[in-house]
Amino acid sequence: MPHVPYNPKLLSAIVDRINVGVFVVDRDMHVLVWNYFMESHSGRPAEKVVGHDLFEAFPELPKKWLERKIRSVFILRNFAFTSWEHRPYLFRFRHNRPITGGADYMHQSCTFQPILAQNGEVEAVCVSIFDVTDTSMYHNRLQATLAELREMSFCDELTGLFNRRHIEHHLQREFHRFKRYGSALSLLMFDVDEFKAINDIHGHLVGDEILREVAKRAQSCVRGTDFVGRYGGEEFVVVLTNTRCKGAMVLAERIRVAIGSTPVECDQAKVPVTVSVGVAEAEAAAMQRHEALIQCADTALYESKRAGKNCVTIYDEHPNAANG
Amino acid sequence: MNSTATNLVETYQFDDDEQDALREVVNIAMGRAGASLAQILDTFVRLSVPFVHIAGVTEVSGAIGDMLGQETNVIAVRQAFYNSLRGEAIIIFDRKGSRALAGLMGYDKRTDGYIEQEVLLDVSNVLVGACLGGIADQFDMQLSYYAPAIMFEGGSVDDLLKEDRVPWTHALLLEIEFEVEGSGINCHMVILTPEESIGLIREQLHTILESI
Repeated sequence: MPHVPYNPKLLSAIVDRINVGVFVVDRDMHVLVWNYFMESHSGRPAEKVVGHDLFEAFPELPKKWLERKIRSVFILRNFAFTSWEHRPYLFRFRHNRPITGGADYMHQSCTFQPILAQNGEVEAVCVSIFDVTDTSMYHNRLQATLAELREMSFCDELTGLFNRRHIEHHLQREFHRFKRYGSALSLLMFDVDEFKAINDIHGHLVGDEILREVAKRAQSCVRGTDFVGRYGGEEFVVVLTNTRCKGAMVLAERIRVAIGSTPVECDQAKVPVTVSVGVAEAEAAAMQRHEALIQCADTALYESKRAGKNCVTIYDEHPNAANG
Repeated sequence: MNSTATNLVETYQFDDDEQDALREVVNIAMGRAGASLAQILDTFVRLSVPFVHIAGVTEVSGAIGDMLGQETNVIAVRQAFYNSLRGEAIIIFDRKGSRALAGLMGYDKRTDGYIEQEVLLDVSNVLVGACLGGIADQFDMQLSYYAPAIMFEGGSVDDLLKEDRVPWTHALLLEIEFEVEGSGINCHMVILTPEESIGLIREQLHTILESI
């Protein structure tokens, strides 16, 4: 390999031209070095910046925070770092996505490095600025996708309520709590009356609109601690924690009235909609698993249907259903 | 890796003299870390006696678990260092302490998760830099650091290290506990260096022992 003699000029030329922002400040925050990356992104040539106070040259910098950061390097003789995740940028530099966009300014992660004098004291601090705009955009896209997936795995697409899987999981958890601590737990199950006929007469789009409206009205009746979910088709459930049968009955009646009292307006039609509700309270002796509670609410719902619909029935312990 | 280091690594455990010398080196470095932290927090920082130990891979996560007890709501920060020595430092905070820390660092009271993270990274960086810097100075070594990053948030310590996914079999484990007086803030720092660095540390310890 040919021998290349060490050339300090070459090194400084590289530092100047490297695709990383490099600048150096002394104890008085005067700029000592300002490389080409800093020149071209800030639009200020080195001769206009070097020798000047950094914060006077760039009044838009977050002075309090940045000065503290630089001071800590002088005091502690230690590296310091900043990440775009906490502060997206230090300087308002334009990013390399003038066409594809997606960010306001170049996102930057910075390293603050002590430059030691002969006596071991820190005489200056070198700041390196890395352009991490692309990384941050990929990161944000990933986070958005994960959030979307999380929502999709929890929610029913049509109504925005919790989906069956999630509501069952929640009920299971609450049932365990009930078993362990004995706090009250009730379950409502309700079903849109004559939904098949509505679909046949008005079409599926109206049917979908009605499900959305039913979900909305039910959701508006419950407390923040109650979980409403779409159990399937036109069937919904509400998990009521710390609620006894009597309280659940009051809520069930409120939901029934909220849905049945005003017809649902859709596609120029006013469609009267009613629901039948079944109410059941968890009982330690009779129920081993959460499925038993669902079964009881379902039985009560069936009773409401049999009694003529648009009404609420509380599960009444039946000799055959008592074994959970 | 040079052949001396390779041979030294064969016998991982430190003898009593080496152990004492290392503990002394760490003590001095810790004093510096405590002083640095006190300087930025403007309050007194209490440090535990450091625990220094060569641990097999299976021991390490257990050792971290023992140190923390059954803490389940922790935030861990990781910072890598390289140059003469290679390794990673892990700093574990409990969540309550991390909120108090933000207040102490002069950030306003709003519970912004990002500020909380920034403070944790800053404090971790100070601890790691001061402690390792103190050790490296005594060994006449140079160290460089990568930016610290949140490694793990809001889980159990059992999930920190997955034994089947680490590339080393023995590591030098350095455990230190910091407590910021009167604030309820305490954190644990674990510094881990793999086999190759253990040999280098041993060489440096011998240099120190011979000079006494």
